Amino acid sequence: MNNIPGHVGRWTLNQLAIGARVSVLMVETMTWMIVAPLRGKGLRLKAAVENFVEFGVRSLPIVGMICFLVGVILALQSSYTLGKWGANRFIATLVAVSALREMAPLMTAILITGRSGSAITAEIGTMKVGEEIDALEVMGLNPVKYLVVPKFMGMLLAVPCVTVVAMFIMIFGGFFASVLVVGVDPSIYIEMTTQSLGEKDLFIGLIKSVFFGIAICWVGVYRGMQVEGGAEGVGLQTTSSVVTSIFLIIIVDLVFTVLFYFV
Amino acid sequence: MAKSEPFIAVENLVVRYGDRTVLDGVSFEVRQGEIFVILGGSGSGKTTLLRALVGLKHPSAGRILFHGEDFTAMSEGERIELRKKMGMSFQGSALLKSISLADNVALPLREHTALEESTIDIMTRIKLELVGLGGFENYLPSELSGGMKKRAGIARAMAMDPEIIFYDEPSAGLDPIVAAGIDELIRKMQETFKLTSVVVTHEMESVKLIADSVCMLKGGRVVGVGTLDELERSDHPYVQQFFARRPDDEFEDSAYARALTGLE
Repeated sequence: MNNIPGHVGRWTLNQLAIGARVSVLMVETMTWMIVAPLRGKGLRLKAAVENFVEFGVRSLPIVGMICFLVGVILALQSSYTLGKWGANRFIATLVAVSALREMAPLMTAILITGRSGSAITAEIGTMKVGEEIDALEVMGLNPVKYLVVPKFMGMLLAVPCVTVVAMFIMIFGGFFASVLVVGVDPSIYIEMTTQSLGEKDLFIGLIKSVFFGIAICWVGVYRGMQVEGGAEGVGLQTTSSVVTSIFLIIIVDLVFTVLFYFV
Repeated sequence: MAKSEPFIAVENLVVRYGDRTVLDGVSFEVRQGEIFVILGGSGSGKTTLLRALVGLKHPSAGRILFHGEDFTAMSEGERIELRKKMGMSFQGSALLKSISLADNVALPLREHTALEESTIDIMTRIKLELVGLGGFENYLPSELSGGMKKRAGIARAMAMDPEIIFYDEPSAGLDPIVAAGIDELIRKMQETFKLTSVVVTHEMESVKLIADSVCMLKGGRVVGVGTLDELERSDHPYVQQFFARRPDDEFEDSAYARALTGLE
């Protein structure tokens, strides 16, 4: 029992140290992304575009498929309740609003975490183990500028873009199930959808997705930089990267949902 | 070799990992144009010393002077300028695995100079030719053998025409023939370009072939500095033991029994 204050203290100090390291990484990334280009130090735009294609464009098939299915599920689940009241036309409203504000950003972020968050950790971790990060530093190339900033820019752009596509596909999934399975009139469904949506819903979804992107990239990079030892360390940090980043995504989601509930 | 102003002067260097002191008051000088070998057994702190010299590990105390300027006290910008004049060949070659050999060698040129792509292309070919890897421009590092990777690492270290080059265990993990080839390459680089070279190794065979000066480390302290001949005449027991390749004295039987059982 005597140890409890000690444990709490050590845990707190440890968390503060992690917070400090993440903050240093954030500041460095921002400096190399925003301040350094203004001073003419250049950005690796080509690498950023390659990362955008890898994180965004290549994730479209899987995100599209999953979001279509989630749309179908949302429609059928809501019909289960709404149908009892003869209110099946409101499936459209429910699907549209949940897709834009919640489900499309969330599903996209979780899928990109699994696909690319883990890949970022594994790549940087392997580079660290193989002394490649040290080699960059000795050559006078800042690893943050060379590796992190292009990934960050790619991710910051990819997540919102994919989210927008995911929103449409999810609504189409709902439309597909409602019309073919539940038997809602297509024109009514479309009308209900357009009526229920405003710019605000799209805006909320996009804001969330930007912060999800930041979380995925930073967790991925930070965990990669933490890799020690060999292949085992890479595996350990990659697992931890995915878990941490999904946890953070849910927390960010909660914060914004609460925020917009009151606003 | 004639005495001249030291290229690198290390003064009372102390490096700690947490509570553990890895380097304890290390001092030596590296002269312009020589091959300076840092020799020591496993755990002697020689790799840490090299990491401190290239600025990958910040020392807890002491100074590292390049041409009289303190490397440890420099700003990030000055540090990058100095690093453009340094090359380093890593133990595991540390080539970027995702890009070709040519791109690896061209990387510092692309990032630090405003040269035309065609010029960079020619320079890359020259550097690869220099280490005997002409024609391997488009290979990925994973497609090469250990010795070839080492050579490619040296080509990349040479990309910016450095004034000094650091080699971390250049012949570790290579067969004797390939290792001798690397030793020869180190010699050739030094003779052709008057390149100051700092080599970390534990292989006596290489030391005999390449060393102008040797600094011997044990437990984070310098136990001998000088030419190979001077060191061979040293009366320090560890230096003699290392040169004679004699193992540590074995446990006395009773001490061994005590260590095993924990009984007095």
